[in-house]
Amino acid sequence: MERTTTDHDTGGIGRRKLLSAVGGSAVAAALAGCSTLLSDGESAEQGGQSSGGISDEPIQAGLLTFTRGAPGVLGIQAQRGAELAVQRINEAGGIGGQREIELDVVNEGSNPLDSYNQFIEEGKEVTFGPISSGTHSQIAPEVEKNEVINVSTDGTVTTLYEETVPDPTYSFRFQNYDIMEVVTMAREAVERIGADNISTVAGVNPGYSFGEDEMRVFTQAIQKLTDAEIVYEGFPELGASDMSNHITSINNEEPDVTFSSLWGGDVTTFVRQANANNMFENTTVFGTTLYSAAGDVPGDALAGTDIYSGSRNYYWGKPALGNWQPGRELFDAATQQDGVTVPTAHYMSGYGAVTAWATAVEKAIDLLGTYPSQEQIAQMLEGHGFFTPAGYHNIAEDHQGASNSFAGKMVYDDDLGAARLEDVNTYAATETAPPPGVTGSDWLDSWSA
Amino acid sequence: MAVTPTAALVQTLNGIQFGFILFMIASGLTVILGILDVLNLAHGELFSIGAYTAIGVFGFIIGIVGPPGGGVAGTAVFLFAVLAAVLVTAAILLPVGTLFEAVFLRQIYDRDQVYQLVLTFALLLILLDVKKFIWGDSSIRTDAVYSAINTIPTSELVGLNYPTYNVFVILVGSAVVAGLFWFFERTKTGRIIRATAIDREMATAIGVSTDRVFTLVFALGAFLAGFAGAMAVPPTSATLEMGTNPLVLSFVVIVIGGLGSLRGAFVGALLVGVIRSWMITLYPPGEIAAPFAIMALILLVKPEGLFGTWGETA
Repeated sequence: MERTTTDHDTGGIGRRKLLSAVGGSAVAAALAGCSTLLSDGESAEQGGQSSGGISDEPIQAGLLTFTRGAPGVLGIQAQRGAELAVQRINEAGGIGGQREIELDVVNEGSNPLDSYNQFIEEGKEVTFGPISSGTHSQIAPEVEKNEVINVSTDGTVTTLYEETVPDPTYSFRFQNYDIMEVVTMAREAVERIGADNISTVAGVNPGYSFGEDEMRVFTQAIQKLTDAEIVYEGFPELGASDMSNHITSINNEEPDVTFSSLWGGDVTTFVRQANANNMFENTTVFGTTLYSAAGDVPGDALAGTDIYSGSRNYYWGKPALGNWQPGRELFDAATQQDGVTVPTAHYMSGYGAVTAWATAVEKAIDLLGTYPSQEQIAQMLEGHGFFTPAGYHNIAEDHQGASNSFAGKMVYDDDLGAARLEDVNTYAATETAPPPGVTGSDWLDSWSA
Repeated sequence: MAVTPTAALVQTLNGIQFGFILFMIASGLTVILGILDVLNLAHGELFSIGAYTAIGVFGFIIGIVGPPGGGVAGTAVFLFAVLAAVLVTAAILLPVGTLFEAVFLRQIYDRDQVYQLVLTFALLLILLDVKKFIWGDSSIRTDAVYSAINTIPTSELVGLNYPTYNVFVILVGSAVVAGLFWFFERTKTGRIIRATAIDREMATAIGVSTDRVFTLVFALGAFLAGFAGAMAVPPTSATLEMGTNPLVLSFVVIVIGGLGSLRGAFVGALLVGVIRSWMITLYPPGEIAAPFAIMALILLVKPEGLFGTWGETA
């Protein structure tokens, strides 16, 4: 079954529309992966921007991400994505055809604010990251104070631009945020098994603000879509080695739906132990970030499971790799990078954050004829639309990125040597995100029961 | 949440299984504390090195034997191979423990205990870097054992839904408990170790080499840590941080049981395991606090712990 939702991705997009959206520059074309589109007379060098008033000094950029430990399953994907985007920009001649990017990467680790401040002291002209919502909440106010653009790769907590930094100027977020991925999965649960068949729901989510936030939003969304009762909520700590108590509780309740926002190495532990306890005979699991462990979860653990996972704003099969050349190029380049079995949404977090910033700067250069200031880049990023191999993205005036999200059945692919999604549904941002200026909670409240 | 009798039984078994893993870790900490009077802060790192090492050893040995074959004989061969891998892993930790005791700890027995804490903390940090150097930053896992053992029918034969690997942990843990008590109660070496723990000077006077005993005991502690790491890793992954939580809970266990008491460590581990399990089920926010609350309560009522110090009995 494939949903027939309006699909705003780039399958079959024409050359004119694409070049118009990306501003026609070589860098933008390189980032969208469509250099072949320029081959009929428009070379990369003729990409379109004036370079007279631009220095050739390299742009110093910083990326804050998890490079090790259990969160490294996500963080290294983001790092490799950002590195590939930077590589493509530099191969296209750099920003404005003049300025190549030098990217420093530091581990988000235990003192991320110190690392971010170090970037500022070093004079970085742009920072990307972080992964963690907790880190993002610490950093976003500092970004506003320092007046240096930050485009976060993740840091997806719903309240960031509602409460923490309600009127941002320099802080932007590329990735779809918590409410979008949770609503996607609530809709996916109804789509797959029907509202009338969902009367009981359980949750197993990470034991910190992200997991609690996701469970709260899922509860609100699923209870608007169905009359379900929440029968169990478990919050294992990050990196827990033993999840059997939560699994036993779910087996005891046999809920129609189990919602989970576990991610990275915790997914592997949960799925393996749940399978060993025959949990998938008693419930269907819907998870926002389970697919983040695509390259880590073993085939035998997924055998016989009933798991539907979201993939935030990127699934490499959408649009199909063979239908749109950039998808194939990115996939092939990504799988050759160290630590990337298959590129996941976190790969696109890194790739897309760099792309959002670079294409906005290119547009500003087109308009101004010179290299823009931080404030001018910030103005350009508001309402900025651009393409990546994940499709079309827009950063709204509330500084929040939005694009399609994807969900499908998680299965193991022996040929790929990793998990993949089967029978993928696409959800447009208008179905999953509140309009700018409306809080997530108010938006969910406004749904008719 | 209404808990059915079956779910109650499974949650209790979950707690017992976790308790046995805790006991395997805490027993090594206990024998080192009971005899050497050293609180080894690096013990959690020895446990995690056991987990990392086991992944390679499992891969090698199970690679030779193959998956569980058909019938009782094939299953027995596979289980024997897993046990052999666990023992080989633990044995690899023996020279590590020997080296630590002989090179580092022996130099500071006569000094204030704070030197031991600083030294073992330094060893903890060094081992963390050693792990990073050898195995890298990313978590690693073994796929050869957990699922394979779970294909062997056990609990479902009596109508339960409980992984065979957990049954395996409980059985092996029981054997470790029995083996340790047998070793310290019945063997000559065990008695010499206990005698040294009770009265070091008297043991020296009757010809016991305390240097050898101390080295042996520290190596035994490392062996037990490695054994625990190998048993704990199949259902999860080995990560750089994995030594921290078990170490903290092991301290709680040995304080509840009585510093240096093996019997106390056993009772404390099962107590902590089962109560933690039930706390997750009934009141999840209490999971972390519950073991510490029990410890505080026991310290108030019985400051020396449930079984006091070790020596007269194991």
